[in-house]
Amino acid sequence: MSDLLAARAQMALSLGFHIIFAAIGMAMPFLMAISHYRWIRTGRRVYLDLTKAWSRGVAIFFATGAVSGTALSFELGLLWPGFMEHAGAVIGMPFSWEGTAFFIEAIALGLFLYGWNRLKPWTHWAVGLVVGISGVLSGVFVVCANAWMNSPAGFDWVAATASTPGHAINIDPFRAMFNDAWKAQTLHMTISAFEATGFAVAGIHALLFLRRPSPFHREAFTIALAVGAIAAIAQPLSGDLLAKGTAERQPIKLAAMESHFETSARAPLLIGGIPDEKTGTVRYGLEIPGALSYLAHGDFNAEVKGLNDFPRENWPPVAPVHYAFQIMVGCGMILAGIGALGLFLLAFKRWRPLLYHRRYLVPCVLATPLGFIALEAGWTVTEVGRQPWIIYGVMRTAEAVTPMPGLVVPFLLFSAVYVFLTGVVTWLLWRHIATVEEKYPSAREGA
Amino acid sequence: MLFVVIAFLGVSLFLYCLLGGADFGAGVLELFLGKSRQEAQRKIIDKAMGPVWEANHMWLILMVVILFMGFPAVYTRVSVNLHIPLTAMLVGIIARGCSFTFRHYDAVKGRSQRAYTAFFVFSSVWTPFCLGVVMGALVPGGIDPAARDYASAYVSPWLRPFPLALGLFTVCLFTFIAAVYLVGECPGDDGLRRSFARKARWASVASIVSGWIVFAGAHADGVPLLAEFLGFGWAFAFMTAATACFGVLWVALYRDWIWTARVMVGAQVALILAGWFQVQHPVLVRMPAGDLTFFNAHAPAATLNQLGGALLVGSVFILPALLWLFLVFKSEEGEEKPVVG
Ligand code: HDD
Ligand code: HEM
Ligand code: HEM
Repeated sequence: MSDLLAARAQMALSLGFHIIFAAIGMAMPFLMAISHYRWIRTGRRVYLDLTKAWSRGVAIFFATGAVSGTALSFELGLLWPGFMEHAGAVIGMPFSWEGTAFFIEAIALGLFLYGWNRLKPWTHWAVGLVVGISGVLSGVFVVCANAWMNSPAGFDWVAATASTPGHAINIDPFRAMFNDAWKAQTLHMTISAFEATGFAVAGIHALLFLRRPSPFHREAFTIALAVGAIAAIAQPLSGDLLAKGTAERQPIKLAAMESHFETSARAPLLIGGIPDEKTGTVRYGLEIPGALSYLAHGDFNAEVKGLNDFPRENWPPVAPVHYAFQIMVGCGMILAGIGALGLFLLAFKRWRPLLYHRRYLVPCVLATPLGFIALEAGWTVTEVGRQPWIIYGVMRTAEAVTPMPGLVVPFLLFSAVYVFLTGVVTWLLWRHIATVEEKYPSAREGA
Repeated sequence: MLFVVIAFLGVSLFLYCLLGGADFGAGVLELFLGKSRQEAQRKIIDKAMGPVWEANHMWLILMVVILFMGFPAVYTRVSVNLHIPLTAMLVGIIARGCSFTFRHYDAVKGRSQRAYTAFFVFSSVWTPFCLGVVMGALVPGGIDPAARDYASAYVSPWLRPFPLALGLFTVCLFTFIAAVYLVGECPGDDGLRRSFARKARWASVASIVSGWIVFAGAHADGVPLLAEFLGFGWAFAFMTAATACFGVLWVALYRDWIWTARVMVGAQVALILAGWFQVQHPVLVRMPAGDLTFFNAHAPAATLNQLGGALLVGSVFILPALLWLFLVFKSEEGEEKPVVG
């Protein structure tokens, strides 16, 4: 394994690990706030139990998110010093705001977890909401930094000469943070956190409800599903918005996502298919004429640039980007379907009992991992689709990597740590779930 | 704004050493709980750290952010040449945060508790040791951007007497801070209080001894630390004052003046860091072909202004919130709200 490949793999692993906890850290506080609100309002045991049970589970995720995030903030330098040397000063602004948001979040989390019976009920509730708000803000800030890598702004780049290395001048941190991609990307990411977490939680509670109906699992399922479903309906819209931006800013990434090799007007949207980079062809795909032109430019007859228009050395790996995009959109469509049906059932009193029918619960159980799969796939699209650039059009990933040889060692070390942690966290979650009935009366009563 | 940024860097380092240090030290202390009343002591540690460790940990994140935004040249230099100890430290941070939380939140309190404790204790020693090594490696000038072979670029900058000695000292100092802090955390239990006070005295002895080892390590590494101190300048004054604090501390520990003891520990940490600053200033990383200093390694003005502004605005939110957090956990728990149905 080459050093560059090891560094990329370690970064991908660390980010792919962290994002799961980050997404949960963004969405879970809001789920808890809903059930907490109902507890204070109604005084019904089930909502108290639910809030407490969720918060004990979440504490584990939060700690794992915090330490893996800490690792990331060092890894940016450990692996990509060539990048951070220049990017640090340009894109530090969202990171510094992110630091503030984390701080508030960590404080609020301490207050929330240990504040039962110490804070007044509404104060306690508000503190829980602050955890969620600062979590979302920190996610937004860090994605602004990522958006800048896709859509660099706020500096001028002086190319390297024989005597001086390349460097940035005229730095404007504000423009760098609020680059062209930030709005669409942060919106899409934030929604995805709610969608992935909502469906994962709903799926787990649906399974438990199927095994043993109780008000506890019914309320948990309802809250989580409602949040996930609303997000799932919004997500294709925000994805469409994002794709239109990608077509403008990174046409080559869009071409890779769609395995679109030849520039053409009235370009077809490709569903499935196996791209072959060498020959520039796609086998076994389903084509919808004109749909790609519409998706990218809002006009069925618009021209969409193909990969062949770009120099070969600037191509991202086509197949992984294409597959990842298909997976994300596929999962998104399934979840949007399940979500729309769920919201419909929920909205009408007459239909509501069907929400808790096997026929609806089983698909929800099967959908448990789909949101997170889409989330990871989406990041693969974004990050692999940006290759070979670390700062799009400005700096290549290969220029940024640390000169230290033997990077495969830290990569294997971190892989071992994360695999081990994944195992332990899963086991802890399972133990937590297995004891819920014993600990919380509302999980024992029949529904 | 450069000075605002430097001040925040210093304050973050101080608070991380004091608050984060106390958390690490508490883990080290678990090594020395003795046979009797282990559980009770562990409970005290859990209770003291649980609500605040994530917040305490944030001072480290803040330092990293200030470094890579404000002094990117320093951040990248250090990340390149100190890759190995930094990675070692990261693994420690991950192990410690997770094992502490898992121990508390595991739904079944069974045999797995011992595994968490083992991880927690080991990483509580390991992480501050690595932190000390990293800090120490900035001083003797072993970091050389021109070094080409593996050993001199990635190993010898930190595998040398001074950084290793500083690592040891950091562990001892953090343990000491924790012990002094915990003395005040067991109200109404004289036995426990005395036991933590005893540990605090032992840890203070260990800190003094390892402090001398640091001087020896500096000498071996060609760092003129002793000469600086014997120059009777500010560094000497800080060091003398820090030593004097030990005297007051011992008395305070015997007499149970809890807050005096705590303030003294804080003062000691501040004085040690101030002495260090005095010796180093304005150098951040000493290097053979020209040091990185506060003045030649900082980011452009636009970035510094933005960073300084963010830090100032951020502290308006953070400091009161932090105070509130600490205050709430000194208060007593109230009654649970009644359940309707
Ligand atoms: C629950 C997760 C989820 C779901 C269901 C979807 N996405 Fe997504 N997508 C993400 C989660 C995500 C993500 C992981 O959050 C990404 C990576 C970077 C980002 O900001 O969002 C992303 C990136 C991303 C990009 C790449 C943008 C770029 O790098 O320039 C595009 C074009 C889309 N999405 C479009 C869609 C469309 C058309 C969807 C239709 C259903 C869709 N996404 C569903
Ligand atoms: C948390 C969600 C994220 C995931 C899952 C993710 C995933 C990935 C993947 C798969 C790679 C490897 C790409 C390749 O080399 O082929 C990568 C690289 C990288 N990512 Fe991300 N990313 C995420 C967010 C971010 C953010 C927010 C930033 C910066 C602010 C970032 C910065 C980087 C950098 C610097 C690299 C290495 C250079 C490169 O390969 O281009 N990532 N990430
Ligand atoms: C290069 C990329 C990243 C870095 C350097 C980074 C850094 C960090 C750090 C240091 C923490 C710990 C904060 C604490 O102690 O509470 C953290 C947690 C968190 N991160 Fe990341 N992060 C990155 C990517 C992301 C992305 C892509 C998202 C979301 C979209 C995200 C969202 C969060 C959230 C919500 C938390 C707090 C929740 C939790 O602790 O579980 N981060 N991150």
